[in-house]
Amino acid sequence: MKRFLSMIKYDYLQRTRSYTFLITLCASMAIAYTFVPEPNANYSTLRIADYVGYYNAAWFGYVTAIMSSIFLSLVGFYLINSGIKRDSETKIGQVIAATSVSNFKYLLYKTVSNFLVLVTIVFLIFLMSIVLFFLYNDGYPFELLQFLKPYLLITIPALFLVAVLAVAFEVFFGTYSVVQNIGFFFLFSILLVYSPQTDRQLSYDIFGSKIVTNHMENEVQKILQTDQKPGLNIGFVLGNVNRNKKFEFNGLEFPTSFIISRLVWILLGLALVTLISPLFHRFTKKVQRQKKKQSVVANDQRLAREINILKLPLPEVDYGILPLLKSELLLLFRKGKKWLWIVNIIGMAFLVALPYKISHQIVLPIVWFLQVGRISEITTKEVSNNVHYFARTSYLPINRLLLSQALSGILLLQLLAMPLIVRLAILGETKAAFSIVLGGLLIVLFAAVSGMLSKGKKLFEVLFFMITYANINSIPALDYFGAFEHHPNYILQLGSISLIVLLTGILFKKYQLRE
Amino acid sequence: MRLDIQQVSKRYAKNTYGLKDFSITIENGILGLLGPNGAGKSTLLKMLATVSKPTEGIILLNKNNIEKDPNYMRKQLGFLPQDFGVYPNLNAIEFLEYMAAMKGIGGKTLRRRINDLLEGLNLTHVAKRPIGTYSGGMKQRVGIAQALLNDPKIIIFDEPTVGLDPEERLRFRNLISDLANHCIVILSSHIVSDIDTVADEVAIMKSGRLITQGNQKSIVELVKDKVFEITLERDQLNDFKMSHIVVSTMRKEGNLVTRFIADSPIETATVQEANLEDAYLYLIKTN
Repeated sequence: MKRFLSMIKYDYLQRTRSYTFLITLCASMAIAYTFVPEPNANYSTLRIADYVGYYNAAWFGYVTAIMSSIFLSLVGFYLINSGIKRDSETKIGQVIAATSVSNFKYLLYKTVSNFLVLVTIVFLIFLMSIVLFFLYNDGYPFELLQFLKPYLLITIPALFLVAVLAVAFEVFFGTYSVVQNIGFFFLFSILLVYSPQTDRQLSYDIFGSKIVTNHMENEVQKILQTDQKPGLNIGFVLGNVNRNKKFEFNGLEFPTSFIISRLVWILLGLALVTLISPLFHRFTKKVQRQKKKQSVVANDQRLAREINILKLPLPEVDYGILPLLKSELLLLFRKGKKWLWIVNIIGMAFLVALPYKISHQIVLPIVWFLQVGRISEITTKEVSNNVHYFARTSYLPINRLLLSQALSGILLLQLLAMPLIVRLAILGETKAAFSIVLGGLLIVLFAAVSGMLSKGKKLFEVLFFMITYANINSIPALDYFGAFEHHPNYILQLGSISLIVLLTGILFKKYQLRE
Repeated sequence: MRLDIQQVSKRYAKNTYGLKDFSITIENGILGLLGPNGAGKSTLLKMLATVSKPTEGIILLNKNNIEKDPNYMRKQLGFLPQDFGVYPNLNAIEFLEYMAAMKGIGGKTLRRRINDLLEGLNLTHVAKRPIGTYSGGMKQRVGIAQALLNDPKIIIFDEPTVGLDPEERLRFRNLISDLANHCIVILSSHIVSDIDTVADEVAIMKSGRLITQGNQKSIVELVKDKVFEITLERDQLNDFKMSHIVVSTMRKEGNLVTRFIADSPIETATVQEANLEDAYLYLIKTN
């Protein structure tokens, strides 16, 4: 037991001391700050018809708990879903595989470690919710239980299941990170739209939020004296705030069946870990494949001819970026599994075949999102592949290398969007076509700068998932490729933001090289 | 070519130095940098390669300050870092073309130069396979090839023989020996035998400082008549190690033939001809 706890402790320390964790933590805190809008803010996060709750302890506790449960279930997964992969890359996995630690114990310790990482973020969000209460409350007393209860019964079990799912996805799709990312994205979307019809079905809600939102809807329904359930809005919705309509929400007494169901979910999570344990590869997959290929290499006939280095043909000076661009494109195209290109081609076919609005609003962000593994590494692959010394000593690294990296990503996204761009151009929708070109530019520059700032690809991955989720849920504020109606200055805005991101990237790269 | 390193220091924290007041002048030929792990060899080489900058002091290449004009160095530099990686999805030719593009070289002769380098480093037969499938020694040779791609005038090899088998080490030595008359080669290692067969000059470092510098003969001279051999029984060795610098031990007929360094001879010990390894150990242990 002591050894088990030590493993969890050191894995947890290793992960929480990373720069990526720090950045995600800061981003989470910034987002948590907006979970309960400031009284005069022109957005809402949880709203029932035109009603929001009075700003009392229950409203702060329950709303932030629900928002954390949903927000961290999506974002948190991408933060923790590479624990086993990292052990494989650092070869720690092979050391562990050679010890007596069983598959179950290893996977359980990864689950617990994942969970603790998420709990750390939740704990800070919890503290933030209390701070928000004291900042914005409508004169109501502070009640700690109204904060503790929803976090313990809603958020914590949900995050435990996310921790289990992260491990399960790694076990099943170990080397297919794209499948993990996309698969969870769809699973999350399905779980989120699940709508319980009876009290009993409320127990099936993994996020545990439906019981609270149902209760809120019932309260508002009583005020409105209507037979129909009022509409519920969860998420960041801009500009629909009517400050005059408030209702009293005092939390709820969770039925015993719901409390038991939350425990059952945790037990089911543990059962899943037990079930997948025999399927865990125990770090043999990659090793076996490499051995096979290396043995072929070793069997080849050796050709030994001494050369005189001084008599080799001299290379010519060529400071153009085309050869670099070619290599960067090669790296981008070779990255990831080959079958993903079949999916890309299918996506491109959909861009041609579906109604152009759907192609633009739904298919394009998904097709671009499928490239997340490629473009998130645009400026970080040197470090992750340990090639950074060569990059640092290259000739004019900013003017040539950084430029070619950004260009390669932009070209990739433009190529994938080309069927739609051409189609829109033919239809005379030049503004929409141009928005796509600018959007591709912006998202690649954003990927490059996120990579440079966070020194890793996770930050961009997490943000890109959030942005894409917002895109396909038709939230116009995060529409970076002109899929929705915007004011006339939209293209100018996109261009300006791209320019700012570009300049930030150049300045930061210069700073990096100088330091 | 002339490389002047003047009073160079690299400070990591207030009183923590990776390198302290390091000065040396290097002209064409092979300089072997010897020192134990943590001596500051890689710190120095990274500064020479413009990967990092000195906290104090200046580095001049042909009187050009490389901190102010790093591209002057980069244009004529070939650098093999100690710990480097590759892009596993590229094959050796693609990777070298990428490296060439980074260095700003190309033209019609590039492909021929790459092919010749791959042949000289015994990689032709695997040149079109993804580097991810290579063994450690093969990757190391790809690293050596990239360092020689641009006809460099200053070549920095940080622990270049790691992962190479004896035959490959020999080929590597032959390869760089040809370069000695035309450019500066700086070769770092903590393995003396990697240095003693090729280096014209040797610099020995410890704890971020330069202990000594000179040609091999002058350094070996420091331990002349101080190297001995004695036969010990097994249980005597530990006590003997406490009072002498033991270079090596060899089992012979149940006893241990022990090579050691001492300032004054021992009665039963015989004087041996000193070599660079003896001098290196002596300088490291006594400084």
